Amino acid sequence: MKTFTKVALLILVVLPCFLMSAGCGSGGGSSPQPILVSLRLTPLNPTFVAGTSFHFAVIGTYSNGTTIDVSQTANWTSSDTTVATIGNTSGSKGVATTVAAGSTTITATVNGISASTTLTVTGNTSTGANVMRITVNGDLCSAATSAGYVNKPCVSVTVCNPNSSTCQTITDLLLDTGSTGLRVFSSAIPNLTLPQVTTSGGGSLAGCVGFADGSSLWGPIKMASVQLGNEPAVLVPIQVIDSTFGIRPSGCSNADPTPVSAGFNGILGVDVFAQDCGPACVSSALNGMYYSCNGSGCSGTTVPTANQVANPVVSLPVDNNGVQVQLPPVPLGGVASLSGSLILGINTQSNNTPGAVTVLPEDTSGDFRTLYPTSSTSNDSFVDTGSNALFIPNLNPSVLPTCASPNQAWYCPPVTRSLFATATGFSGLPAVNVPFNVGNFITVASDGNSVFSEIAGTSTFGFDWGLPFFMGRNVFLGYEQKIVPSLGTGPFVAF
Amino acid sequence: MKLTITNILAAATLVTVSATLVSPAFATLGEGADSVARDRRALSAVKRGTTTRSNYTVQEVVSDSVTVREFLNSDGVVFAVAWQGLVQPDLTTLLGSYTQEYQSAKQQTPRRRGHKQSRVKSGNVVVETWGHMRNLQGRAYLPALVPSGVNLEDIH
Repeated sequence: MKTFTKVALLILVVLPCFLMSAGCGSGGGSSPQPILVSLRLTPLNPTFVAGTSFHFAVIGTYSNGTTIDVSQTANWTSSDTTVATIGNTSGSKGVATTVAAGSTTITATVNGISASTTLTVTGNTSTGANVMRITVNGDLCSAATSAGYVNKPCVSVTVCNPNSSTCQTITDLLLDTGSTGLRVFSSAIPNLTLPQVTTSGGGSLAGCVGFADGSSLWGPIKMASVQLGNEPAVLVPIQVIDSTFGIRPSGCSNADPTPVSAGFNGILGVDVFAQDCGPACVSSALNGMYYSCNGSGCSGTTVPTANQVANPVVSLPVDNNGVQVQLPPVPLGGVASLSGSLILGINTQSNNTPGAVTVLPEDTSGDFRTLYPTSSTSNDSFVDTGSNALFIPNLNPSVLPTCASPNQAWYCPPVTRSLFATATGFSGLPAVNVPFNVGNFITVASDGNSVFSEIAGTSTFGFDWGLPFFMGRNVFLGYEQKIVPSLGTGPFVAF
Repeated sequence: MKLTITNILAAATLVTVSATLVSPAFATLGEGADSVARDRRALSAVKRGTTTRSNYTVQEVVSDSVTVREFLNSDGVVFAVAWQGLVQPDLTTLLGSYTQEYQSAKQQTPRRRGHKQSRVKSGNVVVETWGHMRNLQGRAYLPALVPSGVNLEDIH
């Protein structure tokens, strides 16, 4: 194809020079019409689960250096339509629909120049008791809480009163690999009467969770029967989010009062830990996260691990050693919504066997390291579905300039940058280069889509691999103190 | 849990005390080193060590929930505070007389869904936070009091 492109380039550039005297070479005063010199397909060599639809895009590079998305003018073909079809009519140009396992060559042609890529389709893994559907800005997200919220991954769980058939299925739960445990607004479970967890002093246990954006969630800790996918239900402490409960400590003075203010009905935290706090809250009452509330107020309390908000995956009978997040790739320019899977357990079923992956061990805080630029010193780093972009410490504003006020928290490079960082285990090994794209946030976010692979914001501290990192990848989180066959002992991230 | 009005009134004082204890303020921006010692005593935080650089001094103190590094210039004035831990420290006490301008700047800063960080800049103070559960980091500093030659990257 490279040879073909070069031949086409010669023909397109040289031939018109024989035909016309102006507009070629260095002569004349008028600007020549830019000529298409190459095409770039994105995503390149993607792998998709059968039964999903997504967009290919083809970007043309012109003789004057500009790049333009020419997806709508290209002619699209698929070499094997039993594996995947591709739309070639107005409105469906470049939309691939995967049919069955296999591989097919997708080709886009513009003005005689072609670009091709191999699309691999795997068997549909979106069935099985250990599979939970994820929609990014899709039907599992509530429109009421999602206004202006891009790259929002939503899941659904069923919560029941313990030992009861009284249950509620809750949607619009933010899938968060950066926190631990289930937190649900009280308004989302009006039919449930969950038993309150009590403290050693006889008070009601409450939690205050502060997030790094300055927001916080406050409310009582209660026992709930939680069903993930079609797994057996597990009995775990959850947080019922309720800013009116007791008297809030100063750390929760701004606790979100409603799902609309928070941007979700709740959070399903499935990070690498079994509890949200762990040993620190067992030994110290001044932990800032847990409070014992009684008639005279709320004061800090110690909490045994069994009473702390728990990662429900860890309590599953079999699929308890980690999770896998599986999202299709998203082309530059984004899509309206995206479907993927949260698969519970690693190497515990036929549908959660990792292929060739790199395992990055994490430290006791759940961090590995990332170097960007690759010559810099490393920073704390984590993979986080709950972060809706890549958040990148920037040492080179000429590569990644920030957007104009009031969007200076985002990057706005003049053209989409194809970059890479080096991710390593917390001790420095192993090291793996991770490619990523950063587009102009203002341009990208104004096109009407809600799911983007190329949006990135600033970070003063570490490298936060948010949701775009998960697009087009199978990402495994190995849980602390759990042995994952073939991958090792957690905590780790593998991809 | 329901509280009667009288209970709430009675509880308010107690809660204020306990909330201050668990959301510690370790030093006050723009004040002298005595604010460091005063807060440490009040909070039963432990001083872990002092590092002297060419043009500033770093004091590290540790409580049960957060490690705080206080940056003092050659005049002994706290020009920056950085932290890392389970929780963010109580900014109200930490910012001292700068609390009001920080609060109004924060209200002007639009909330961004899905961000695990924030940056609030007012006329005199910058507050930045970052991280995830079990590893929350942040810093607050007074740009005008940062000694020349100090790299902001070192305020962590």
